[in-house]
Amino acid sequence: MKRLGNPIAFGVLVLAVIAAPFIFSNYRTYQLAFVGLYLVALLGLDILTGFTGQISLGHGAFMGIGAYTTTILVVDHGVRDIWTIPLGGVVAGIIGLAFGIPATRFAGPYLALATFAIPLAFIGILKRYPDFTGGNVGKNLPQLHSQLGWHTNPSIWFYVVCWVVALVMLPLAFVIVRGRFGRAMRSVRDSEIAAAANGVSTAGVKTLAFGISAFFCGVAGSLYAIGITYVNPDTFPIDLSILLLVGIVLGGAGSLYGMLFGALFVEFIRISWGPALLNLFSRVHHIDTHAPGSGLVVYGVVLLLVLYAAPAGAAGLARGLAGRPAFLRRKEDPSLSDPGLV
Amino acid sequence: MRKTFLLIVAALAVTAVVGATAGARPTATPGVTAKSILLEGTYPLSGPASGYAPIPVGMGAYFSYVNAKGGVNGRKINWHYEDDGYNPANTVQITHKFVEQDHAFALVGGLGTEPQLAVRQYLNDNKVPQLFVATGATTFDRDYVQYPWTIGWQPDYEAEGSIYGKYVVANMPNAKIGILYQNDSYGNDYLRGFKAGLRSHQSQIITAQPYDLSATTPPAVQMAKIKASGADTLVLFATPTPTIQAYVIGTKLGYKPANVITNSVSATDAFLTIAEKSGSDIVEGSLSVEYTLDPANPIYNKLAGMKLYRSIMAKYAPKANANDGLNLYGVAKAWNVVQLLTKLGKNPTRAGLMAAARKMTFSPGKKNANPFLLQGVSTFTKGSFQYPITQVKLVKYVNHVFQPQGKLFAGRGALR
Amino acid sequence: MQTFFQTLTTGLSDGSIYGSLALALVLIYKATEVINFAQGEMAMFTTYIAWALMGHGSTFEWWAFFATLGIAFVGGAALQQTVIRPLERASVLTAVMATIALLVILNGLAAWIWSPQLQFFPSPFPTSSWVIGGVHISKQDAGTFGVVMACVLILWLFFRFTKLGLAMRAGALNPGAARLMGVRASWLLALGWGFAAALGAVSGMMVAPTVFLTPNMMQAVLIYAFAAAILGGLESPVGAIAGGLSLGVLLNMLGEYVHPVTTELRLPVALGILLVVLLVKPAGLFGRVVVRRV
Repeated sequence: MKRLGNPIAFGVLVLAVIAAPFIFSNYRTYQLAFVGLYLVALLGLDILTGFTGQISLGHGAFMGIGAYTTTILVVDHGVRDIWTIPLGGVVAGIIGLAFGIPATRFAGPYLALATFAIPLAFIGILKRYPDFTGGNVGKNLPQLHSQLGWHTNPSIWFYVVCWVVALVMLPLAFVIVRGRFGRAMRSVRDSEIAAAANGVSTAGVKTLAFGISAFFCGVAGSLYAIGITYVNPDTFPIDLSILLLVGIVLGGAGSLYGMLFGALFVEFIRISWGPALLNLFSRVHHIDTHAPGSGLVVYGVVLLLVLYAAPAGAAGLARGLAGRPAFLRRKEDPSLSDPGLV
Repeated sequence: MRKTFLLIVAALAVTAVVGATAGARPTATPGVTAKSILLEGTYPLSGPASGYAPIPVGMGAYFSYVNAKGGVNGRKINWHYEDDGYNPANTVQITHKFVEQDHAFALVGGLGTEPQLAVRQYLNDNKVPQLFVATGATTFDRDYVQYPWTIGWQPDYEAEGSIYGKYVVANMPNAKIGILYQNDSYGNDYLRGFKAGLRSHQSQIITAQPYDLSATTPPAVQMAKIKASGADTLVLFATPTPTIQAYVIGTKLGYKPANVITNSVSATDAFLTIAEKSGSDIVEGSLSVEYTLDPANPIYNKLAGMKLYRSIMAKYAPKANANDGLNLYGVAKAWNVVQLLTKLGKNPTRAGLMAAARKMTFSPGKKNANPFLLQGVSTFTKGSFQYPITQVKLVKYVNHVFQPQGKLFAGRGALR
Repeated sequence: MQTFFQTLTTGLSDGSIYGSLALALVLIYKATEVINFAQGEMAMFTTYIAWALMGHGSTFEWWAFFATLGIAFVGGAALQQTVIRPLERASVLTAVMATIALLVILNGLAAWIWSPQLQFFPSPFPTSSWVIGGVHISKQDAGTFGVVMACVLILWLFFRFTKLGLAMRAGALNPGAARLMGVRASWLLALGWGFAAALGAVSGMMVAPTVFLTPNMMQAVLIYAFAAAILGGLESPVGAIAGGLSLGVLLNMLGEYVHPVTTELRLPVALGILLVVLLVKPAGLFGRVVVRRV
């Protein structure tokens, strides 16, 4: 059981997830559903970047692939949306795997460029084949509605779907990183040459990690399409890929529970916290809260301050606080190491 | 282990803080209290489309002006808008907030074809007015049966395109036409309308070159092909930056078309002046259409509408550049919104608002036309005709400003 | 043939801009192994400063050009000392995040101060062209190429022949040894940022007359510069310029000659070709493969 992470911690999380919709308004519940799906995406990217040491600037595109898989199946083939969630993951995973094969030849910044090309190519293809993808105009999915004989608010339904998936994917991520394959990933991250010397197929590990991370992002993308009820190329900009990377750094690359923080940040910073902070400032200084660009400045400054406060992310901070009593210090603490180069 | 606990407890704490802000209590009619009406909208205040940011400023200035005079039937208009960065995923989440958390009375002037497409079904399902969207995509006007809670405002791109087509048929029967168009619904709407306006003269189009907005390099190759085709009339169905670039590249290539037609989105005095300053020598004489007054052109300064506009901007948005037509677009749209709200009387409802929007007659004939639109332009909807503004005037760029030419054209229906 | 030469000259002009920004990236990367994502926005911001110095006017002023280079230099060094230096001991990924934060802040700040509206930025060169054998060679393209190459040459002379330049190269090559020799590494890094910022300012001021001044004007250029730097090998300044020029020519040739490459797919196809090159030469055209020890 230890391999699945701490059962008590997981239990607390489950209880909190169950309690949340009773405490918060429907709109907040809708936002917290997005936290759940971002958590899935960040877990995937963390497996690749935090545990295997491979940077990706393109995982937003795998979310896009999952989202378009869901959209095309639901809109053009009448499949029920929730059944497409695993398919979104599988399609993204296969493409990720296929992309992982050549990508393993690149290291550090070269890999960053290679992955940067994924969202650019993805957007280009969406526009090139509008009959299949809907092109710039995009496609509308059916509105959120509770299903399977349950009648509830659409936001709560969506929340339940997202968090059921997230609470399946979280232990799955633990199984992956704690097992033999997990050790192989970390040995590749810490030293490729040493890993190869110990008989680890570095190319194989990297390719598989790529596929797994794409699978997680694909699942998240399916949920994203269901929640947004609309896809077009603008919904998967390059910023999304970078935002995911920001999420794992703030959560603490190489920590799985830390991704909860990353997911909260990714969902709330632009839509809720940024405007709230601006409102706060505007009471002190008479600044125009609607001035173009002001939201971006707040977002950037908050990001910078968080980086200063916790350079190794929320997990690094927690490690620092928890690390003091010697008897609690664990032997195989996942190292706070540099996940590769950019 | 303790680390994991810390993380989870802290995450819960963050969530609690995040969620603590409760929404407004819904009133009998959402967004309407004894003293106020809440109107909200999404606009790109960051990112590549943030050039449109003056529009909600202009709307806000007009609402402040109305509030200072006592508001609408005793209620003040509470105008609130947020940045969606032109990403539909943001538009959807913010729109959920407007509807479920803020309980807005109506969403007004939301900007952008794709962002507004993304929330159209949601707003219709929730019976929230999606009033006067800021896009010329034809579907927002045409598909009123399927989307009874949605209505556009400005002339649609298709209708505008058809006016250029009709103009060519009437005035340039021998023109050889080369078109540069954006390869999305925007460019295609224009192109479709243009062809419809040309009718049997479509063979006059000798080349139509698409470009992609995300292709980041100026449309140099396309312009070279248009030049090589021998077209003597250049038609630009493009967004502002590629339009200016096309003008400049044309000159660099030594291309001198006899006529240039530019769609109204890009044909502002400011943009064409940039093209001129950048060295283009084919800007003078460019043709386009207008339907609002043009604050950059002094000939309108003596009109009552323009005087009112300037006084409102000076008082309620003193930092804004009042010569920017986007502010005036906002003020003009806000005028129509206020007229509709006034008609709703003491007890406004969402359904009442839509009913009023579906039957508008603000026309010179009734002496209640929108003062910020060109003289003679009406805002008219009735029955199956749901295109609020369809009349435009042909304008020609002479000496750094667009000068109106002749009488009004009707893009759809009849002149009123 | 006329089209070929025309495409070639346009490609070289575009490419020189990508190359100069790529060189800026390389300068910072060599010293710190950090890819500076804010490089494009720094260039954009300094271009706005130049525009302000020129009084938002319609004529290009060379004094403003040089003043901007100075401001960019000081500003770049100051950014390194204030924003990046506190994260010196954090992971490279964290430092990269800080440059992304800087990108976001500068982009927002420019829109906030100068409004996001498209603005005219004057070119020092006329719009007219020389016509040589039917080929239109734009004076603006040729001038851009000349200015960028002159700046690169000056930078090369500095690194090659001045004591400070040598110290900076030493610092980048082996920070530990340089410190032992009495070179203060932190200030060398700041100087590196200063030079990169000044070079970025050149590319910004040269590209602004064609893409026009907006807060987002450098984002596409940054993608190309990034690709050019990688193609050249990231460690190699010559490679960055060569990478930029070949990318500029490649993009224009693709647009002109390969018809299935419609306008939507030009960028992905160019990047695809680049990746194939990298598969053959994994450290770029001018880079060396470094085997790291365990």
